[in-house]
Amino acid sequence: MRFADEILRDKLAAEYVLGTMSARARRRFEIHLRGNPQLRRAVAQWESRLSTLTDAVPAIEPPARVWQAVKARLKFGPAIRAGFWESLSFWRVSSFGSGLLALALIVMVAMPKPEGPVETGRMVVVMNDLATKKPAMTASWEPGQSGGRTLRIRVIGHAEMGPNTAWELWMLPGGDQKPVSLGLITTHETQIVKIPQALAARLDAAHGLAMSVEPAGGSPTGLPTGPVLYAGESIKT
Amino acid sequence: MNLPEGLAPEQLSDLLARCALRDQRAFATLYQFSSAKLFAVAVRITRRRDWAEEVLQEAFVNIWNHAAGYNSAKSAPMTWMTAIVRNRALDWLRRPREVEIDEEHEELMASIPDESPGPEELLRRSLEAGELAECMKTLTEEQQRCITLAFFYGLSHGELAEQMRKPLGTVKTWIRRGLDRLKGCLDELGR
Repeated sequence: MRFADEILRDKLAAEYVLGTMSARARRRFEIHLRGNPQLRRAVAQWESRLSTLTDAVPAIEPPARVWQAVKARLKFGPAIRAGFWESLSFWRVSSFGSGLLALALIVMVAMPKPEGPVETGRMVVVMNDLATKKPAMTASWEPGQSGGRTLRIRVIGHAEMGPNTAWELWMLPGGDQKPVSLGLITTHETQIVKIPQALAARLDAAHGLAMSVEPAGGSPTGLPTGPVLYAGESIKT
Repeated sequence: MNLPEGLAPEQLSDLLARCALRDQRAFATLYQFSSAKLFAVAVRITRRRDWAEEVLQEAFVNIWNHAAGYNSAKSAPMTWMTAIVRNRALDWLRRPREVEIDEEHEELMASIPDESPGPEELLRRSLEAGELAECMKTLTEEQQRCITLAFFYGLSHGELAEQMRKPLGTVKTWIRRGLDRLKGCLDELGR
């Protein structure tokens, strides 16, 4: 490839930034990129030109294990945290609707007789860690509506997920019916899982929910294959 | 998010400069304030949370290792970091794959905790203001669609042709002409 031609250079830079190149073309291009400042400039210009496209992508909090992995790979000491990390996570929790639920639970524990209006009609599942018998995760949703359900999940405490594993959430329909997968979740404190309309009525009537540890990508069989860590019964508030 | 997340570009640049000096605390702060946006970019392209996590991890290792190469005069800090994430995500997508994305994984994707607007919606939102908006409007519908799909989903020429059900040559031409026109238009508007 020759890059003396400015038009060719620009065209390739544009395709590289847009992301349409094959793996092989990308690798070849990157080799040229290292030794060619003009090419690097053309790429930077295209990155700027298209950068506003990314502005509209809604942010998604990555699970805490990503940061742990980055730190481990860079061999940072365990003491390195952002100074306000903990306090920020606190505010992040309380800035979410599901954080309110968790907060409400804490408040209910602290004050046996809560006063003032209490939100009713929501379905709540408090899942206990089956090893410690302590609450480990909560899920709540608005039952009885048309359409799907929005499950608000809160993971309590500092849960850890092993490498190459995934957490899978299950609906336990009750009786002798098999668990139904509700998808993978993360260890992040607050998260939302969308439940399709087809499962909505069963979810409202379900006995409870559970979480099992599965291989990365989720259970290969469609049923829990790994240990069930958390489980709890549905309660209508 | 109601986080005090909006660090000004100058603050992010400053953090990157401190990363270049091996300030681990600055790096932690940089992560705190940029990871959610960058993770969203990775999820968007890889369409798998587990892959996106790998990509984000790789990208932040790269950001730390190459912080000294960041030049605030040449690009905005988020643009620079986003490019690193996009490139890692594209490499990841283009790697030789043992596992193909299947129906089940598409379903798993449905559990991504966001409202997951489609590329058209993202395009519309990002184009509500600004010069790129003006210029995108000058493209044909096919050109717009190809460029958006490629950008947000990391589709290669071949995959785009499949998606659009058009010959490879046609799709390549749409993209090339679309990009040409975008550049001409943006240059005219003084970028």
